[in-house]
Amino acid sequence: MDNIHFPIYSIVLLLTASVLIPLLNIEFKKIKLFLVSVLAIAWLLTLKALLYVYKVGSFTYNFGNWNEAIGVQLLVNEFSAFMSLFILTLSLLILIYSFKDMEHVINNHKLNDYYTLVFILIFSMIGITYTNDLFNMYVFMEILSLTSCSIVSIKNKKETYMSSFRYLVISTIGSLSILFGIAMLYMVTGHLNIGKSYEIISVAWQLFPTNILTAVGFILTGLAIKAAMFPLHVWLPDAHSSAPSASSALLSSLVVKVYIFSAYKILFNVLGETIVNALGIPAFITFFAAMGMIMGSVFAIGQKDIKRVLAYSSVAQLGYIFLGLGLVSTDGLAASMFHIISHGLMKSALFLSAGAIIYYKDKRNINDLDGIGYEMPITMLVFTVAALGMIGIPGINGFMSKIYLSFAVLGADKPIYLILILVSSFLNAIYYLPIIISAFLKESKERKNIMVLDKLPKTMIVPMVILALGSLILGFYPHLIMEAIEKAVPTFLQ
Amino acid sequence: MVEFIKSIIDNINYVASVALFVIGLYTVLTHSNLLKKVIGLNIMETAIFLFFVSIGYVNEGRSPIINLGGDKMLYINPLPSAIILTGIVVAVSITAYSLSLIIKIHEAYGTIDLNEIMEIKGEKSNG
Repeated sequence: MDNIHFPIYSIVLLLTASVLIPLLNIEFKKIKLFLVSVLAIAWLLTLKALLYVYKVGSFTYNFGNWNEAIGVQLLVNEFSAFMSLFILTLSLLILIYSFKDMEHVINNHKLNDYYTLVFILIFSMIGITYTNDLFNMYVFMEILSLTSCSIVSIKNKKETYMSSFRYLVISTIGSLSILFGIAMLYMVTGHLNIGKSYEIISVAWQLFPTNILTAVGFILTGLAIKAAMFPLHVWLPDAHSSAPSASSALLSSLVVKVYIFSAYKILFNVLGETIVNALGIPAFITFFAAMGMIMGSVFAIGQKDIKRVLAYSSVAQLGYIFLGLGLVSTDGLAASMFHIISHGLMKSALFLSAGAIIYYKDKRNINDLDGIGYEMPITMLVFTVAALGMIGIPGINGFMSKIYLSFAVLGADKPIYLILILVSSFLNAIYYLPIIISAFLKESKERKNIMVLDKLPKTMIVPMVILALGSLILGFYPHLIMEAIEKAVPTFLQ
Repeated sequence: MVEFIKSIIDNINYVASVALFVIGLYTVLTHSNLLKKVIGLNIMETAIFLFFVSIGYVNEGRSPIINLGGDKMLYINPLPSAIILTGIVVAVSITAYSLSLIIKIHEAYGTIDLNEIMEIKGEKSNG
């Protein structure tokens, strides 16, 4: 069963399912099984594609057999297949969690629409990961930003309208800036295909250094807006905190990461390591990444709403990812990819457990959480594991990604960033520890601290526990993921 | 000086598109009316479409239809024009979605002016 069409099947399957959901027009209760099975099949197909890539090697796929100079091309390699598998795994867990939570949050007749949007969202994320064509990447980004705005605004509340409008305007500016950069690159190369652009740029870049620098500046600014790099993160806290919890988990742990995949592709597949270094791009990226690591945490300390704390913490964690990217070394890129995965696990666990608290107790203020650890022990244990991981306690995957990042920083001979990583970890501790302490050690105002098991639906508890276990397992056996990442890094850096 | 003016006239498309881009960005950032922000976004989009199509233009080239007659064999590059069609579709869907959001915002707050909305929100959170 060696078939090169597997990745395409998984993309088409998701798109078809998203079209079918409103057409089928059946009750929400019956459609759950359909949703889960579609995503599971897509997951299996992607797993198959990944195994195929490991066995046979990477390959390109031209849509409709058009030549890559005029057609759309997908590149299926160790990076894209692995990251698609990661995206699908997390989305499957979040999807299972979201059934009960969404019933609670939005109107019943809107549920099917919500899952249409979620499936288009997952489809476009996988599309960006696989694509090998600059304009196709832009189109997928627009689909992604439209759907991610819609899954924020689907909750019929005043605040969500404003925050999703702001998100829409800012991310449209970002994608237009990306399109402008792509147009300038097209001026130089005459190709939109990433492989072909690389061939021409590596020969011709000395003729047009200003043009390429401007183009990369536009593209990176756009991607930085969309991936919420520090000074351009203003939309993120509002959008991620006012969205329904399942949407927040999807947005925070997956959507912003996908734009970083595009940054990898633009920097290393289109331009290549030598040009990136010669143009002096890494200095900018590491500077803003380091600012984000510190400032994101500083902002998070002042927040009262638990989901805003998590959203600002995302800004800080994205700083780590960009720092690894900005080192432009094999170790740095590996650390960056590892942190993408470990942050995905931890942040979705945090958002899902915060969502469970909001679902069960309807409390969002971190001062109201005294003694909640006795009422919802499983939820708070998940929260604690993930929060300790964010701080970087050994044994949880956040620690491992900090270790990898520190070694990469030392390998690149920039010890100043090691100090910044440490400072950022302490700042993380300042805003995560009080939540944990008040949940387990303070007396609740309403009831005595007697341990009872969570009265949550099983479909909400199981995904959270799996995410927390995943964080723990990766903390003890990081090489499980690191081996795959070490295979993925050479697709960008030789 | 003459050469400078000549180069601007030769590249008037690019100059115009960058000017439009800046005008659009200025509109988005400075106007407090949400509708004007959307118009600003549309101006930015148009600027990029102009830029992209200009890249494909070949001086004295013909529309790229094979063997239409005539002896000139110089065609303009059709790929940017084809791509911009997709870009226009994307722009339209963004405009549609943002307009529908503005309707919802108007229902919720009774105004589409950003400053007034911020005041209403501020009163709520203070009181």
